[in-house]
Amino acid sequence: MKSSTNWPMKTECLRKNVFCLRGLAVGYIGFLILLPIAALGASAFHSGPGAIWRETTLLRSMASLKLTFILALMTVILNIFTGTATAWVLVRYEFPCKKFINGLIDLPFAIPTVVTGIMLVVLYGPNSMIGAVLGRFGLEIIFNQPGIVLALLFVTFPFVIRAVQPVLIEMEKDLEEAAMTLGASPFQIFFKVVLPTLLPAILTGAALSFSRALGEFGSVVIVAGNIPFKTLTAPVYIYGEIESGNLTGATSVSLVLLTLSFSILVLIHFIQRWSRCHETD
Amino acid sequence: MKQIWMILLCLCLLFGCGRTKQPSEQPVTLTLGAFTVPKEVYQKQIIPAFCAHWKQKTGRDVRFEQSYEASGTQSRAIQSGFEADIAALSLEKDIDAIEKAGLITHDWKNNPGEGFVTRSIVVIAYRPGNPKNIKGLEDLAREDIDVIYPSPKTSGGAMWVVNTLYGAGLKIAELKTGHKNSALAKKFLKSVQKRVKVMDKSGRMSVTTFENGIGDALLTYENEALLRQKQGYLFPFMVPEASILIENPVAVIDKNVEKHGNRKAAEAFVDFLYTKESQMAFAEYGFRPIDDTLALKLKETFPRPEILFDIHYLGGWDNIQKILYSNEGIWNEIINELANEN
Repeated sequence: MKSSTNWPMKTECLRKNVFCLRGLAVGYIGFLILLPIAALGASAFHSGPGAIWRETTLLRSMASLKLTFILALMTVILNIFTGTATAWVLVRYEFPCKKFINGLIDLPFAIPTVVTGIMLVVLYGPNSMIGAVLGRFGLEIIFNQPGIVLALLFVTFPFVIRAVQPVLIEMEKDLEEAAMTLGASPFQIFFKVVLPTLLPAILTGAALSFSRALGEFGSVVIVAGNIPFKTLTAPVYIYGEIESGNLTGATSVSLVLLTLSFSILVLIHFIQRWSRCHETD
Repeated sequence: MKQIWMILLCLCLLFGCGRTKQPSEQPVTLTLGAFTVPKEVYQKQIIPAFCAHWKQKTGRDVRFEQSYEASGTQSRAIQSGFEADIAALSLEKDIDAIEKAGLITHDWKNNPGEGFVTRSIVVIAYRPGNPKNIKGLEDLAREDIDVIYPSPKTSGGAMWVVNTLYGAGLKIAELKTGHKNSALAKKFLKSVQKRVKVMDKSGRMSVTTFENGIGDALLTYENEALLRQKQGYLFPFMVPEASILIENPVAVIDKNVEKHGNRKAAEAFVDFLYTKESQMAFAEYGFRPIDDTLALKLKETFPRPEILFDIHYLGGWDNIQKILYSNEGIWNEIINELANEN
C-alpha cells in the first residue's frame, strides 16, 4: 500500500471508478433481467396464491409441464453423449474442413427458431421423402413427440459442445499417457482420468441446454401439433392462455418454468464451485 | 462523360421539381389495426381505392399505416396503447374488449352493417377427388378421418370452428329430440375433437399444415378457402350442412382519432367499407357481403348452407365465453375427458 501514501487522490479516484462500474453492472443486470422477472412475479401474485395454485394444478397445465420436462430431459441426455463426442472429435482429430464444421456448430443460435421449425417440417413432414418412408413404417416425427425432441436438439446443439471444447483443449495429453504407462486400460483412463476433468463442463452445458429446452417456443409450436395432453408443451400452453385472455393461467405456468430454470442455474453455480474445489485438490 | 452530366442534371431537375411542389396541406395519416385474414384485400384494393376517393373528395392525400395481427393480439395491442384509429377484427368480443377499456365511446354498432363489415361461414376443405368420401360435418367424427383446425385458445378462427361444431350439435339435437340438448352437442363436438390431429396457432398455419399433407379434412373460413383458390391452388372445399354465420366487426377508436385529429377521415374510411365498390372487393377475396341485395346477386359463389345460425343462437359471445371456453367450460371438459380416455 505504498502507492496509496504517494498518490492518495489517484487511488481514491480509481476506487470510485471501480465502485461506479460495479454499480453500473449491477444496475444493468437488475434493469435487464431482474425487473421483468419481478414484474412477472408481481402480476402472478396480483391474482393471489390461491389462483396461481389452482391454475398450475389444472390437469392440462400439469400435463404440459410434465411433457415439457420429460422432453427437455430426453434432449439433454442425448446432448450429453453427442455433444461430448462431437467436442472430442473436433479437438482430438484432424480432418478436412474442420474449421468449417466447427463454425457450423454455432449456426443453431443464428437461425430464428421459427425457421428451424419450418425446416424440420419440410425435411421430415409427411409430405417429404424421409417423412413418407418413415410413415410407411408407422413412424411419425413431425406433429408428434419425436419432432419436438428433434427441434429441441437442434436449438440446444451448441451448449454441451461449446462447454466441453475449451476444457478438452486445455487438458494435456500427458495425463492420459502417464496413466497408460502406469498400466491403466483405455476404459480406466476414460473413467478415472478424462471423465472427472470433463464432468463439470458437461454438466454446465447440460444445464444450459435444459433451461433452453424448457422455454423453447418458436420451433416447437410449428412441429409439435399442439394437442393438449399429447403434444402441447408448456411454452405453447402459456401462449394459448395469453391469447385466450387467461393471464393468471399464463403467468402461473410461467412462474413454474422460471423456477425450474432458476434452480438449474443455481445448480450450475454449485457445479462450478465444486469443480473449482477439485482443481485445488 | 457528357452523358453522366446530363443524367445528373436531369436528376437535379427532378428532385428540384419535387421540392418546389409543396403540398397545400399535410396529408392525413390513418392507422389501421386489423386481423390478418383480410390483409390482401385491404392492401391491394380497398386502401388504394379509398386514397383515390378521399383525394378526389377533399383534395388531400391520406397515408395509411397498417398492422395485421391475430384478432386477439391486435385487440390487446390497441388496449395497451397501440394507437390505431380503426380496428377491423375477427371477433365481436375483441372490439367489445376495446370498448370496455374505454377507448371506444360511440355506439359502434350504429351503421348499415350493425358494426359488421364482412361475413363468412365455416367450410370443410378436403383432399382432391375426396378419397375419404366426406359429405358433411358428421363424417368428421369417423374413425378413418384426421381433422385439422387451429387451437381456439390462440385463434379467433378456431373459435368460429368450435362454435360451428357445437352449434351444429345443438341443431342436430334439435332435429332429433326437439330441443337444444347441450349434452348431445358436447358429444358431437367431442367426437370431432377426438379426430383432430394438429392444432396450429392460427388459421393460416392450419392451411399450411393441411397443404403439407396432414389430415383428411380441414375446417376453415370460406374466405380462406376461396383466397387459396384465387391464388391458383387446388383447394377443394364444401359448404357443410350447417354453419355459423361469421361476422367480422370494424370500429373507429374514439380516443385515438381524437388524439390524432383525424376523425373525419377515419369515419369516412369505415363508411367506405360499406360502399358497393368495397363490398365487391371483399367478395372478390372470398368474403360474403353484408349487403343483402349484393348477397342475392352473388348466391352462386356463396351458396347458403341448409342450416345457417348466428352467434345469438348460442346465446351471444358472453355466454359462449362462459359455457365453452372458460376454465370450467365445455371445451376444456372435452380436452380433459379425451386425455383420460387415451
